Amino acid sequence: METRVQHILLAASLLGALTCFSASVCAADEKEKNNDGELGKIITPDIERRHIKEADLDSEDFEVGLYTGMLNVEDFGSNMVAGVSFSYHITEDFFAQANYGTSETEKTSYELLSGGVELLTKEQRDLSYYNISLGYDLLPGQVYLSEKWHFNTSVYLVAGAGNTRFADKNYFTYNLGAGFKFYATDWLMLDLSMRNYSFEHELFGIAKKINNPESRLGISIFF
Amino acid sequence: MTRLLKITIATFKRGLRIGICVLGFTSLLSSVNASAADFWSLNWFEKDAPIEVTVNDAFINVHNAPGRGYPIFHVVERGETITLLKMHTDWIKIKTARGIEGWIKRKDVLLTLGPDGVAPEFADTKQADYLADRFELGTAFGDFDGAQSFNVNLGYRFTKNLSTEIRLAQNTGQYSDSQIIALAILHQPFPDLRASPFIGIGAGKLKTMPSTTLVQSEDREDQLLQASIGAYIHITGRFFLRAEYVNDYVLTSRNTNQEVNEWKLGFNIFF
Repeated sequence: METRVQHILLAASLLGALTCFSASVCAADEKEKNNDGELGKIITPDIERRHIKEADLDSEDFEVGLYTGMLNVEDFGSNMVAGVSFSYHITEDFFAQANYGTSETEKTSYELLSGGVELLTKEQRDLSYYNISLGYDLLPGQVYLSEKWHFNTSVYLVAGAGNTRFADKNYFTYNLGAGFKFYATDWLMLDLSMRNYSFEHELFGIAKKINNPESRLGISIFF
Repeated sequence: MTRLLKITIATFKRGLRIGICVLGFTSLLSSVNASAADFWSLNWFEKDAPIEVTVNDAFINVHNAPGRGYPIFHVVERGETITLLKMHTDWIKIKTARGIEGWIKRKDVLLTLGPDGVAPEFADTKQADYLADRFELGTAFGDFDGAQSFNVNLGYRFTKNLSTEIRLAQNTGQYSDSQIIALAILHQPFPDLRASPFIGIGAGKLKTMPSTTLVQSEDREDQLLQASIGAYIHITGRFFLRAEYVNDYVLTSRNTNQEVNEWKLGFNIFF
């Protein structure tokens, strides 16, 4: 009989101890979960802790533009030229530029004076060129138009090479030029420039190196 | 015997070409996949949250235009919060809390702290940072067997040492014009050197168009194998000069194959 009572008591005390222990563990867990409490809300405010990377920032190093002007093709007159340009600003000094332009040339003086002689067909008179050039901002500066307005400018040099398609043939063409950039805003630029395209052709029977100056006005945007 | 040799060369060539194609294509696909997911999850009309940083140096100079010579018209001091607006070459346009806008040097952003208390993560503009996992675009001018050549190359760099590229060339000569399209693999053993040599192999097509006024001949297309050696010369940041000699081996339909020496000089830009 005694042993039975002892057993019951032992079981009861064990059970009690176990409940107590588990309750205290639960309470400790609960405490840990809410340890921020009132203070936690103040210490960790509900804002995004953002990490800033280079890719988050918009970069405007590319430039796309349209231009028009006059292209003088030696022996074939001065004519309108129109084209597109695409540039990448590598550093604050250097930029790489791809150009594509088209023009239509005139009859030579010989063709006009002789009457009926035609050196080229109508399609052959179309001229197009493309090139890739490297530019250098030689004289960066600013202009001050009034007390309030100032604009960034730059005088630059540009040189490169490419191909000219004329009279059904390709001609390897060097170009050399200089220009003036006027930044109306950070992203809008006006460009006034001169280029010289030189290549060698044999349209008159003998090899002749010709220089074709171009003056142009362009507008471009940065993106 | 010669027939067997020809077949072997042709098979080797085809295998090489397919290998290069697959390599290039898978790399392209994997990069496209990642960006496609980004593309669709982007909300194009959502206004970006302003990028605000706190100055963590005695002061940072603010120039009135993006260039080293433009006057410093303002300074932002330690503890001041500035908003980064945009980047143009090595310059960052900022706006102060009082609404003053100006340009700071790109590297000065490392003297600030972001909202997480860490300096913004901007790649160093040293050469090595531009070498891995980058696209590369370049142009070169040179001599192709007496003809003047104009080249464009678009490459992708897997690691610092290994890259693949597509080459396009237009050669204009006295008697004929030609065009090249080729795929190549380049290996750069010492990418950290300022003038870093490379070797490469490539394969492609050469299309020759004889001048109609001089020679009565038709356009022809030949297979081409290329072996090249050259060097990248680091100029600044992402801008490199590249000089190259290419030995082209033209597998003609005539009895003898033709060997062509090609020299070129140009520049490459890394993105």
